[in-house]
Amino acid sequence: MTERIERELWLPATPEAVWEAVTGDGWLADRVNLDLRPGGDAHFVTSGRIRSGWVEDVSAPDRLSFWWAVDQEPASRVELRIEEHQDSTRLRIVETRPLEVLDLVGVPLPGPGGVTYGPALVAA
Amino acid sequence: MEDRASAVFGALSDPTRRALLAAIAEHPATTATELAAQLPISRQAVLKHLNALTNAGLLDRTRSGREVRYKFTPAPLSEAVDWMTAVGAEWDERLAVLRRQLGGAAATRRASAWPTRSRGGAAGTPIQRGGIPK
Repeated sequence: MTERIERELWLPATPEAVWEAVTGDGWLADRVNLDLRPGGDAHFVTSGRIRSGWVEDVSAPDRLSFWWAVDQEPASRVELRIEEHQDSTRLRIVETRPLEVLDLVGVPLPGPGGVTYGPALVAA
Repeated sequence: MEDRASAVFGALSDPTRRALLAAIAEHPATTATELAAQLPISRQAVLKHLNALTNAGLLDRTRSGREVRYKFTPAPLSEAVDWMTAVGAEWDERLAVLRRQLGGAAATRRASAWPTRSRGGAAGTPIQRGGIPK
């Protein structure tokens, strides 16, 4: 089960410049309101369409993960990673849907053919 | 309005609830009493978490005698088959914007698999961004 989007982009800019661009207004949404700390509120508005969620983890200028969702739609998790390599900066994006996220956090789910996958590694 | 997405966020953001979900997924038709015996929390606390998970649509409960049995229902998490296409297109558009903004002839391509398995319990440095429009 792969409900996962991955993208990568190399930019001739510093990690700080990329961080500013990806966390500021106009990129993730027209208006971005991110409380950049774990558990902080995340609010995104693009032409009347509102997404809301929360910040899972943040370490400027190289890592940001957050959850977002529109209204009743299932939530998804976005992870942005910014790495400097010589003169350029690599931006990596992964957006995952809860099914895979549940797998990541260790909840075993019924897979194809009734097979159960995903280790139950959740710390009790 | 208590929307489903918020309920799912809340349910998944708590490690105890994730542990409960894992235990129920592994052993369907579990009761709160059985769960409380497995975890270092009271039955009362277990019930509170089970209510949150049920409200998020992640659990289905059936009464059997004096006990209520819980079953994991992943359905609310696996809707929308065209999600990949729609979300992929959104990211491609954002990357194009970024490329125009930060310049260069940088190439965009699908990233190869890279490890994200380590979710890491370590919290990042709490920072406050200035100039957030209210």
